[in-house]
Amino acid sequence: MSELIAIFFSMALVNNMVLGKFLGLCPFFGVSKKTSSAFSMGIAVLLVMLVASAVTWPLFHLLLVPYGFEFMRTVIFILVIASLVQIIEMSIKRTNMTLYNALGIYLPLITTNCAVLGITFINIDQQYGFAQSMVAALGAGVGFTLVLLIMSGIRERLDLADVPKVFKGAPVAFLIAGLLGLAFLAFGGMVG
Amino acid sequence: MSTTILAVILLSSIGLIAGIAIFVANRVLPKEDPSLEKANEIKERLPGADCGACGHPGCFAYAQAVAKSADVLEKSPCRILAKDEEASQALGEFLGIDLSNSGPGVKAVVHCTGDSPRIGTYNGVQSCAAAIQVGGGEKECPYACVGYGDCVDVCPVNAIGIDSEKGIAAVDWDLCIGCGMCVAVCPRGLIELIPADTPQYLGCNYLSSKDIAGRKKCSVGCIHCRICVRSSEQGEVEWNETKDLPQFSTVLAVDAIEKCPRKIILKTTAHLAETDAPPQERS
Repeated sequence: MSELIAIFFSMALVNNMVLGKFLGLCPFFGVSKKTSSAFSMGIAVLLVMLVASAVTWPLFHLLLVPYGFEFMRTVIFILVIASLVQIIEMSIKRTNMTLYNALGIYLPLITTNCAVLGITFINIDQQYGFAQSMVAALGAGVGFTLVLLIMSGIRERLDLADVPKVFKGAPVAFLIAGLLGLAFLAFGGMVG
Repeated sequence: MSTTILAVILLSSIGLIAGIAIFVANRVLPKEDPSLEKANEIKERLPGADCGACGHPGCFAYAQAVAKSADVLEKSPCRILAKDEEASQALGEFLGIDLSNSGPGVKAVVHCTGDSPRIGTYNGVQSCAAAIQVGGGEKECPYACVGYGDCVDVCPVNAIGIDSEKGIAAVDWDLCIGCGMCVAVCPRGLIELIPADTPQYLGCNYLSSKDIAGRKKCSVGCIHCRICVRSSEQGEVEWNETKDLPQFSTVLAVDAIEKCPRKIILKTTAHLAETDAPPQERS
Protein backbone atom coordinates (compact mmCIF):
# COMPACT_ATOMS: atom_id res chain seq x y z
CA MET A 1 0.00 0.00 0.00
CA SER A 2 2.71 2.46 0.96
CA GLU A 3 4.42 1.62 -2.32
CA LEU A 4 1.31 2.64 -4.25
CA ILE A 5 1.14 5.92 -2.35
CA ALA A 6 4.80 6.51 -3.14
CA ILE A 7 4.13 5.87 -6.84
CA PHE A 8 1.17 8.26 -6.79
CA PHE A 9 3.13 11.16 -5.33
CA SER A 10 6.18 10.38 -7.40
CA MET A 11 4.15 10.65 -10.60
CA ALA A 12 2.11 13.64 -9.47
CA LEU A 13 4.87 15.84 -8.06
CA VAL A 14 8.45 14.59 -8.36
CA ASN A 15 8.27 13.19 -11.87
CA ASN A 16 5.49 15.51 -12.94
CA MET A 17 4.50 14.89 -16.55
CA VAL A 18 4.88 18.50 -17.67
CA LEU A 19 7.56 19.96 -15.43
CA GLY A 20 9.58 16.82 -14.70
CA LYS A 21 9.40 14.87 -17.94
CA PHE A 22 8.49 17.69 -20.35
CA LEU A 23 5.62 15.72 -21.85
CA GLY A 24 2.29 17.24 -22.82
CA LEU A 25 3.70 20.72 -23.27
CA CYS A 26 1.28 21.40 -26.10
CA PRO A 27 -1.91 21.48 -23.98
CA PHE A 28 0.15 23.00 -21.15
CA PHE A 29 0.62 26.15 -23.23
CA GLY A 30 -2.41 25.84 -25.46
CA VAL A 31 -5.23 25.29 -22.98
CA SER A 32 -3.90 27.20 -19.97
CA LYS A 33 -5.43 30.59 -20.69
CA LYS A 34 -8.61 30.07 -18.70
CA THR A 35 -8.93 28.15 -15.43
CA SER A 36 -12.24 26.54 -16.36
CA SER A 37 -11.00 25.09 -19.66
CA ALA A 38 -7.68 24.11 -18.06
CA PHE A 39 -9.55 22.08 -15.45
CA SER A 40 -11.72 20.36 -18.08
CA MET A 41 -8.62 19.56 -20.12
CA GLY A 42 -6.84 18.17 -17.07
CA ILE A 43 -9.75 15.91 -16.19
CA ALA A 44 -10.02 14.71 -19.79
CA VAL A 45 -6.30 13.86 -19.84
CA LEU A 46 -6.64 12.07 -16.48
CA LEU A 47 -9.49 9.99 -17.85
CA VAL A 48 -7.71 9.05 -21.05
CA MET A 49 -4.49 8.22 -19.14
CA LEU A 50 -6.41 5.80 -16.92
CA VAL A 51 -8.16 4.10 -19.83
CA ALA A 52 -5.00 3.96 -21.95
CA SER A 53 -3.00 2.40 -19.12
CA ALA A 54 -5.75 -0.11 -18.41
CA VAL A 55 -5.74 -1.25 -22.04
CA THR A 56 -2.08 -1.08 -23.03
CA TRP A 57 -0.72 -2.89 -19.98
CA PRO A 58 -2.48 -6.21 -20.69
CA LEU A 59 -1.89 -5.72 -24.41
CA PHE A 60 1.85 -5.45 -23.84
CA HIS A 61 2.24 -8.19 -21.27
CA LEU A 62 -0.21 -10.70 -22.72
CA LEU A 63 0.31 -10.19 -26.45
CA LEU A 64 3.56 -8.43 -27.29
CA VAL A 65 5.91 -9.96 -24.69
CA PRO A 66 5.03 -13.67 -25.16
CA TYR A 67 5.53 -13.45 -28.94
CA GLY A 68 8.61 -11.22 -28.83
CA PHE A 69 7.09 -8.11 -30.37
CA GLU A 70 8.16 -5.57 -27.73
CA PHE A 71 9.70 -3.39 -30.45
CA MET A 72 6.26 -2.77 -31.91
CA ARG A 73 4.91 -1.09 -28.79
CA THR A 74 5.09 2.53 -30.00
CA VAL A 75 3.07 2.09 -33.16
CA ILE A 76 0.59 -0.33 -31.61
CA PHE A 77 0.02 1.85 -28.55
CA ILE A 78 -0.64 4.90 -30.71
CA LEU A 79 -3.13 2.95 -32.79
CA VAL A 80 -4.95 1.51 -29.80
CA ILE A 81 -5.07 4.77 -27.81
CA ALA A 82 -6.29 6.76 -30.81
CA SER A 83 -9.17 4.41 -31.55
CA LEU A 84 -10.04 4.18 -27.85
CA VAL A 85 -10.29 7.95 -27.49
CA GLN A 86 -12.43 7.98 -30.61
CA ILE A 87 -14.88 5.52 -29.09
CA ILE A 88 -14.93 7.37 -25.76
CA GLU A 89 -15.66 10.65 -27.48
CA MET A 90 -18.41 9.08 -29.55
CA SER A 91 -20.11 7.50 -26.57
CA ILE A 92 -19.95 10.67 -24.48
CA LYS A 93 -21.38 12.72 -27.34
CA ARG A 94 -24.32 10.40 -27.82
CA THR A 95 -25.20 9.67 -24.22
CA ASN A 96 -24.50 12.81 -22.22
CA MET A 97 -24.48 16.16 -23.98
CA THR A 98 -23.69 18.11 -20.80
CA LEU A 99 -20.60 16.04 -20.15
CA TYR A 100 -19.65 16.36 -23.81
CA ASN A 101 -19.79 20.14 -23.68
CA ALA A 102 -17.59 20.14 -20.59
CA LEU A 103 -15.07 17.42 -21.49
CA GLY A 104 -15.73 15.99 -24.93
CA ILE A 105 -14.50 18.92 -26.96
CA TYR A 106 -11.02 18.38 -25.53
CA LEU A 107 -10.89 14.67 -26.26
CA PRO A 108 -9.87 14.93 -29.94
CA LEU A 109 -6.94 17.09 -28.81
CA ILE A 110 -5.60 14.31 -26.61
CA THR A 111 -5.88 11.49 -29.14
CA THR A 112 -2.17 11.30 -29.77
CA ASN A 113 -0.95 13.37 -26.85
CA CYS A 114 2.58 12.50 -25.76
CA ALA A 115 1.70 12.67 -22.07
CA VAL A 116 -0.84 9.89 -22.57
CA LEU A 117 1.56 7.78 -24.61
CA GLY A 118 4.33 8.64 -22.15
CA ILE A 119 2.54 7.25 -19.10
CA THR A 120 1.94 3.92 -20.85
CA PHE A 121 5.66 3.64 -21.65
CA ILE A 122 6.67 4.67 -18.14
CA ASN A 123 4.42 1.91 -16.76
CA ILE A 124 6.31 -0.64 -18.84
CA ASP A 125 9.82 0.77 -18.40
CA GLN A 126 9.38 0.90 -14.62
CA GLN A 127 8.10 -2.70 -14.73
CA TYR A 128 4.97 -1.79 -12.82
CA GLY A 129 2.26 -4.37 -12.23
CA PHE A 130 -1.32 -3.65 -13.31
CA ALA A 131 -2.42 -2.00 -10.04
CA GLN A 132 0.78 0.02 -9.88
CA SER A 133 0.26 1.14 -13.49
CA MET A 134 -3.23 2.39 -12.71
CA VAL A 135 -2.01 4.32 -9.67
CA ALA A 136 0.83 5.77 -11.73
CA ALA A 137 -1.65 6.89 -14.40
CA LEU A 138 -3.88 8.44 -11.74
CA GLY A 139 -0.93 10.27 -10.21
CA ALA A 140 0.29 11.51 -13.58
CA GLY A 141 -3.20 12.76 -14.46
CA VAL A 142 -3.61 14.54 -11.13
CA GLY A 143 -0.16 16.09 -11.50
CA PHE A 144 -0.98 17.23 -15.02
CA THR A 145 -4.27 18.80 -13.89
CA LEU A 146 -2.51 20.50 -10.97
CA VAL A 147 0.16 22.07 -13.15
CA LEU A 148 -2.40 23.15 -15.74
CA LEU A 149 -4.48 24.80 -13.01
CA ILE A 150 -1.46 26.59 -11.53
CA MET A 151 -0.41 27.79 -14.97
CA SER A 152 -3.87 29.03 -15.94
CA GLY A 153 -4.25 30.83 -12.60
CA ILE A 154 -0.98 32.64 -13.17
CA ARG A 155 -1.81 33.47 -16.77
CA GLU A 156 -5.22 34.86 -15.85
CA ARG A 157 -3.55 37.23 -13.41
CA LEU A 158 -0.87 37.99 -15.95
CA ASP A 159 -3.50 39.47 -18.24
CA LEU A 160 -3.89 42.34 -15.79
CA ALA A 161 -0.16 42.83 -15.27
CA ASP A 162 1.89 45.35 -17.20
CA VAL A 163 4.15 42.96 -19.12
CA PRO A 164 6.81 44.57 -21.33
CA LYS A 165 5.71 44.51 -24.93
CA VAL A 166 8.41 42.09 -26.12
CA PHE A 167 7.42 39.54 -23.45
CA LYS A 168 3.66 39.64 -24.05
CA GLY A 169 1.91 36.35 -24.79
CA ALA A 170 4.01 33.24 -25.34
CA PRO A 171 7.45 34.52 -24.17
CA VAL A 172 6.28 35.32 -20.68
CA ALA A 173 4.40 32.01 -20.56
CA PHE A 174 7.66 30.19 -21.33
CA LEU A 175 9.46 32.16 -18.62
CA ILE A 176 6.78 31.21 -16.11
CA ALA A 177 6.93 27.57 -17.19
CA GLY A 178 10.66 27.64 -16.47
CA LEU A 179 10.15 29.15 -13.04
CA LEU A 180 7.42 26.60 -12.27
CA GLY A 181 9.82 23.84 -13.33
CA LEU A 182 12.41 25.20 -10.92
CA ALA A 183 9.80 25.24 -8.15
CA PHE A 184 8.83 21.64 -8.83
CA LEU A 185 12.51 20.68 -8.76
CA ALA A 186 12.28 21.15 -5.01
CA PHE A 187 10.17 17.97 -4.82
CA GLY A 188 13.12 15.98 -6.14
CA GLY A 189 14.37 13.30 -3.76
CA MET A 190 11.17 13.24 -1.70
CA VAL A 191 9.92 9.95 -3.07
CA GLY A 192 11.23 7.50 -5.66
CA MET B 1 11.98 -12.34 -42.43
CA SER B 2 9.13 -14.11 -40.74
CA THR B 3 9.29 -11.56 -37.90
CA THR B 4 8.81 -8.73 -40.37
CA ILE B 5 5.79 -10.38 -41.95
CA LEU B 6 4.35 -11.25 -38.56
CA ALA B 7 4.84 -7.65 -37.42
CA VAL B 8 2.94 -6.39 -40.44
CA ILE B 9 0.17 -8.91 -39.86
CA LEU B 10 0.01 -8.03 -36.16
CA LEU B 11 -0.26 -4.31 -36.82
CA SER B 12 -2.86 -4.69 -39.55
CA SER B 13 -4.97 -7.04 -37.48
CA ILE B 14 -4.89 -4.67 -34.51
CA GLY B 15 -5.86 -1.86 -36.86
CA LEU B 16 -8.67 -3.99 -38.24
CA ILE B 17 -9.91 -4.86 -34.74
CA ALA B 18 -9.85 -1.17 -33.76
CA GLY B 19 -11.73 -0.27 -36.93
CA ILE B 20 -14.36 -2.93 -36.29
CA ALA B 21 -14.66 -1.76 -32.68
CA ILE B 22 -15.38 1.80 -33.82
CA PHE B 23 -17.85 0.53 -36.39
CA VAL B 24 -19.66 -1.59 -33.80
CA ALA B 25 -19.66 1.28 -31.32
CA ASN B 26 -21.16 3.52 -33.99
CA ARG B 27 -23.95 0.99 -34.55
CA VAL B 28 -24.59 -0.04 -30.95
CA LEU B 29 -24.55 3.40 -29.35
CA PRO B 30 -27.81 5.36 -29.42
CA LYS B 31 -28.10 7.85 -32.24
CA GLU B 32 -27.27 11.49 -31.59
CA ASP B 33 -29.96 13.28 -29.67
CA PRO B 34 -32.71 13.97 -32.25
CA SER B 35 -32.94 17.56 -30.99
CA LEU B 36 -29.36 18.03 -32.20
CA GLU B 37 -30.39 17.30 -35.75
CA LYS B 38 -33.10 19.91 -35.47
CA ALA B 39 -30.64 22.29 -33.83
CA ASN B 40 -28.25 21.88 -36.72
CA GLU B 41 -30.99 22.80 -39.16
CA ILE B 42 -32.01 25.80 -37.09
CA LYS B 43 -28.40 26.93 -36.88
CA GLU B 44 -28.20 27.04 -40.65
CA ARG B 45 -31.03 29.58 -40.61
CA LEU B 46 -29.40 31.78 -37.95
CA PRO B 47 -27.00 34.64 -38.74
CA GLY B 48 -23.98 32.69 -37.49
CA ALA B 49 -22.22 35.74 -36.07
CA ASP B 50 -21.81 34.03 -32.66
CA CYS B 51 -22.21 37.47 -31.07
CA GLY B 52 -23.72 36.06 -27.87
CA ALA B 53 -26.21 38.91 -27.53
CA CYS B 54 -29.10 36.49 -27.04
CA GLY B 55 -27.43 35.30 -23.84
CA HIS B 56 -26.34 31.96 -25.26
CA PRO B 57 -22.67 31.12 -25.82
CA GLY B 58 -23.08 31.09 -29.59
CA CYS B 59 -25.44 30.47 -32.46
CA PHE B 60 -25.35 26.69 -32.02
CA ALA B 61 -26.21 26.91 -28.33
CA TYR B 62 -29.06 29.26 -29.25
CA ALA B 63 -30.24 26.81 -31.90
CA GLN B 64 -30.16 24.03 -29.30
CA ALA B 65 -32.29 26.14 -26.96
CA VAL B 66 -34.73 27.02 -29.74
CA ALA B 67 -34.95 23.37 -30.77
CA LYS B 68 -36.03 22.49 -27.24
CA SER B 69 -38.64 25.23 -26.99
CA ALA B 70 -39.60 27.91 -29.50
CA ASP B 71 -40.43 30.28 -26.61
CA VAL B 72 -36.74 31.12 -26.49
CA LEU B 73 -37.20 33.13 -29.69
CA GLU B 74 -39.47 35.49 -27.80
CA LYS B 75 -37.74 35.48 -24.43
CA SER B 76 -34.27 36.15 -25.78
CA PRO B 77 -34.71 37.19 -29.41
CA CYS B 78 -31.88 37.13 -31.90
CA ARG B 79 -31.47 40.80 -32.74
CA ILE B 80 -29.65 40.22 -35.98
CA LEU B 81 -32.44 37.97 -37.18
CA ALA B 82 -35.01 40.60 -36.21
CA LYS B 83 -33.55 42.92 -38.87
CA ASP B 84 -33.40 40.35 -41.63
CA GLU B 85 -36.95 39.89 -42.86
CA GLU B 86 -36.09 37.06 -45.26
CA ALA B 87 -34.03 35.07 -42.80
CA SER B 88 -36.61 35.29 -40.04
CA GLN B 89 -39.32 34.22 -42.45
CA ALA B 90 -37.23 31.21 -43.45
CA LEU B 91 -36.75 30.26 -39.81
CA GLY B 92 -40.44 30.85 -39.13
CA GLU B 93 -41.38 28.55 -41.99
CA PHE B 94 -39.06 25.85 -40.71
CA LEU B 95 -40.48 26.05 -37.21
CA GLY B 96 -44.04 26.57 -38.39
CA ILE B 97 -44.57 29.87 -36.55
CA ASP B 98 -44.97 33.46 -37.68
CA LEU B 99 -41.83 35.48 -37.11
CA SER B 100 -42.32 38.12 -39.77
CA ASN B 101 -43.65 40.84 -37.44
CA SER B 102 -40.37 41.78 -35.87
CA GLY B 103 -40.48 45.59 -35.96
CA PRO B 104 -37.69 48.01 -36.81
CA GLY B 105 -35.24 46.55 -34.28
CA VAL B 106 -32.79 48.57 -32.25
CA LYS B 107 -29.43 50.21 -32.75
CA ALA B 108 -26.82 51.51 -30.36
CA VAL B 109 -25.94 55.14 -29.71
CA VAL B 110 -23.22 56.62 -27.50
CA HIS B 111 -24.58 59.34 -25.26
CA CYS B 112 -21.46 61.47 -25.26
CA THR B 113 -20.16 64.15 -27.60
CA GLY B 114 -16.77 64.37 -25.96
CA ASP B 115 -14.86 67.52 -25.16
CA SER B 116 -14.65 66.99 -21.41
CA PRO B 117 -11.20 68.30 -20.38
CA ARG B 118 -8.62 65.75 -19.35
CA ILE B 119 -7.49 66.12 -15.75
CA GLY B 120 -4.62 63.65 -15.92
CA THR B 121 -2.85 61.05 -17.97
CA TYR B 122 -3.58 57.36 -17.56
CA ASN B 123 -0.81 54.91 -18.40
CA GLY B 124 -2.20 51.56 -17.28
CA VAL B 125 -3.96 48.68 -18.99
CA GLN B 126 -5.68 49.96 -22.13
CA SER B 127 -9.23 49.23 -21.08
CA CYS B 128 -12.10 51.45 -19.98
CA ALA B 129 -12.96 49.20 -17.04
CA ALA B 130 -9.41 49.52 -15.71
CA ALA B 131 -9.05 53.22 -16.54
CA ILE B 132 -12.03 54.36 -14.46
CA GLN B 133 -10.59 52.57 -11.42
CA VAL B 134 -7.80 55.15 -11.26
CA GLY B 135 -9.19 58.38 -9.87
CA GLY B 136 -12.41 58.00 -11.86
CA GLY B 137 -10.70 58.16 -15.24
CA GLU B 138 -8.83 60.82 -17.14
CA LYS B 139 -11.74 63.06 -17.98
CA GLU B 140 -13.32 65.56 -15.67
CA CYS B 141 -16.91 64.60 -16.41
CA PRO B 142 -17.83 61.43 -14.54
CA TYR B 143 -20.22 60.50 -17.36
CA ALA B 144 -17.85 61.05 -20.28
CA CYS B 145 -16.82 58.25 -22.62
CA VAL B 146 -13.55 56.83 -21.31
CA GLY B 147 -12.30 56.15 -24.81
CA TYR B 148 -10.24 52.99 -24.37
CA GLY B 149 -12.52 50.99 -26.59
CA ASP B 150 -13.93 48.14 -24.48
CA CYS B 151 -16.99 48.42 -26.73
CA VAL B 152 -14.83 48.27 -29.87
CA ASP B 153 -13.35 44.98 -28.72
CA VAL B 154 -16.69 43.24 -28.22
CA CYS B 155 -18.52 44.52 -31.31
CA PRO B 156 -19.09 41.48 -33.55
CA VAL B 157 -19.46 43.57 -36.73
CA ASN B 158 -16.84 46.30 -36.11
CA ALA B 159 -19.50 48.99 -36.05
CA ILE B 160 -17.87 51.02 -33.25
CA GLY B 161 -14.70 53.02 -33.52
CA ILE B 162 -12.89 55.48 -31.30
CA ASP B 163 -12.82 59.05 -32.56
CA SER B 164 -9.14 59.73 -31.90
CA GLU B 165 -9.60 63.50 -31.93
CA LYS B 166 -12.28 63.61 -29.25
CA GLY B 167 -11.36 60.33 -27.59
CA ILE B 168 -14.92 59.03 -27.60
CA ALA B 169 -16.64 56.02 -29.11
CA ALA B 170 -18.85 56.45 -32.16
CA VAL B 171 -21.31 53.92 -33.59
CA ASP B 172 -21.59 53.39 -37.32
CA TRP B 173 -25.37 53.44 -37.46
CA ASP B 174 -25.53 51.53 -40.75
CA LEU B 175 -23.30 48.68 -39.63
CA CYS B 176 -24.79 48.34 -36.14
CA ILE B 177 -26.88 45.20 -35.69
CA GLY B 178 -28.20 46.19 -32.28
CA CYS B 179 -26.81 43.16 -30.50
CA GLY B 180 -26.18 45.11 -27.29
CA MET B 181 -22.76 43.70 -26.49
CA CYS B 182 -21.32 47.22 -26.19
CA VAL B 183 -24.13 48.24 -23.82
CA ALA B 184 -23.12 45.42 -21.52
CA VAL B 185 -19.40 46.25 -21.36
CA CYS B 186 -19.50 50.06 -21.15
CA PRO B 187 -18.50 50.81 -17.54
CA ARG B 188 -20.15 54.23 -17.73
CA GLY B 189 -23.44 52.91 -19.12
CA LEU B 190 -23.24 55.48 -21.92
CA ILE B 191 -24.38 53.25 -24.73
CA GLU B 192 -28.08 52.67 -25.19
CA LEU B 193 -30.16 50.69 -27.64
CA ILE B 194 -32.82 52.89 -29.23
CA PRO B 195 -35.45 51.96 -31.84
CA ALA B 196 -33.82 51.90 -35.27
CA ASP B 197 -36.29 54.45 -36.66
CA THR B 198 -35.41 57.18 -34.15
CA PRO B 199 -34.00 60.11 -36.11
CA GLN B 200 -32.06 61.80 -33.28
CA TYR B 201 -30.48 61.19 -29.91
CA LEU B 202 -28.86 63.22 -27.15
CA GLY B 203 -25.09 63.30 -27.15
CA CYS B 204 -24.87 63.60 -23.39
CA ASN B 205 -25.68 61.49 -20.40
CA TYR B 206 -25.11 64.12 -17.75
CA LEU B 207 -27.47 63.20 -15.01
CA SER B 208 -27.85 65.57 -12.08
CA SER B 209 -29.51 68.87 -12.96
CA LYS B 210 -28.75 70.31 -9.55
CA ASP B 211 -25.04 69.91 -10.13
CA ILE B 212 -24.58 73.12 -12.09
CA ALA B 213 -20.84 72.46 -12.10
CA GLY B 214 -21.66 70.04 -14.89
CA ARG B 215 -21.72 72.98 -17.26
CA LYS B 216 -18.14 73.72 -16.44
CA LYS B 217 -17.01 70.14 -16.83
CA CYS B 218 -17.72 70.02 -20.51
CA SER B 219 -18.45 72.61 -23.17
CA VAL B 220 -21.18 70.46 -24.69
CA GLY B 221 -22.86 68.94 -21.62
CA CYS B 222 -26.64 69.12 -21.37
CA ILE B 223 -27.59 72.07 -19.17
CA HIS B 224 -31.18 70.87 -18.70
CA CYS B 225 -32.64 74.07 -20.15
CA ARG B 226 -35.54 72.11 -21.70
CA ILE B 227 -35.61 74.39 -24.70
CA CYS B 228 -35.90 71.27 -26.85
CA VAL B 229 -39.20 70.41 -25.15
CA ARG B 230 -40.52 73.97 -25.44
CA SER B 231 -39.54 74.34 -29.09
CA SER B 232 -41.20 71.15 -30.22
CA GLU B 233 -44.82 72.11 -30.76
CA GLN B 234 -46.11 68.70 -31.74
CA GLY B 235 -44.50 67.10 -28.73
CA GLU B 236 -41.65 65.45 -30.60
CA VAL B 237 -39.53 65.85 -27.50
CA GLU B 238 -40.64 65.04 -23.98
CA TRP B 239 -38.80 65.39 -20.73
CA ASN B 240 -37.77 62.16 -19.04
CA GLU B 241 -38.18 63.09 -15.38
CA THR B 242 -36.41 60.05 -13.98
CA LYS B 243 -33.29 60.50 -16.10
CA ASP B 244 -33.72 64.29 -16.21
CA LEU B 245 -32.88 64.29 -19.89
CA PRO B 246 -34.96 64.80 -23.04
CA GLN B 247 -36.71 61.84 -24.60
CA PHE B 248 -37.18 61.70 -28.36
CA SER B 249 -39.89 60.12 -30.45
CA THR B 250 -39.61 58.77 -33.97
CA VAL B 251 -40.43 62.21 -35.47
CA LEU B 252 -37.54 64.39 -36.54
CA ALA B 253 -37.43 67.36 -34.12
CA VAL B 254 -35.97 70.01 -36.46
CA ASP B 255 -36.57 72.99 -34.14
CA ALA B 256 -35.16 71.25 -31.13
CA ILE B 257 -31.98 70.32 -32.97
CA GLU B 258 -31.54 73.91 -34.10
CA LYS B 259 -32.34 75.60 -30.83
CA CYS B 260 -30.31 73.40 -28.54
CA PRO B 261 -27.73 75.84 -27.10
CA ARG B 262 -25.15 73.07 -26.81
CA LYS B 263 -25.85 71.52 -30.23
CA ILE B 264 -25.85 68.05 -28.75
CA ILE B 265 -29.02 66.66 -30.27
CA LEU B 266 -27.40 64.49 -32.89
CA LYS B 267 -29.03 63.02 -35.97
CA THR B 268 -29.00 59.35 -36.80
CA THR B 269 -29.25 58.19 -40.40
CA ALA B 270 -32.88 57.21 -39.79
CA HIS B 271 -33.91 60.84 -40.44
CA LEU B 272 -32.94 60.57 -44.12
CA ALA B 273 -35.86 58.38 -44.98
CA GLU B 274 -38.34 60.80 -43.42
CA THR B 275 -37.18 64.10 -44.89
CA ASP B 276 -35.60 63.00 -48.16
CA ALA B 277 -32.87 65.47 -47.31
CA PRO B 278 -29.51 65.08 -49.02
CA PRO B 279 -27.16 62.88 -47.02
CA GLN B 280 -25.54 64.88 -44.28
CA GLU B 281 -22.37 64.23 -42.49
CA ARG B 282 -23.15 62.17 -39.44
CA SER B 283 -21.84 63.64 -36.24
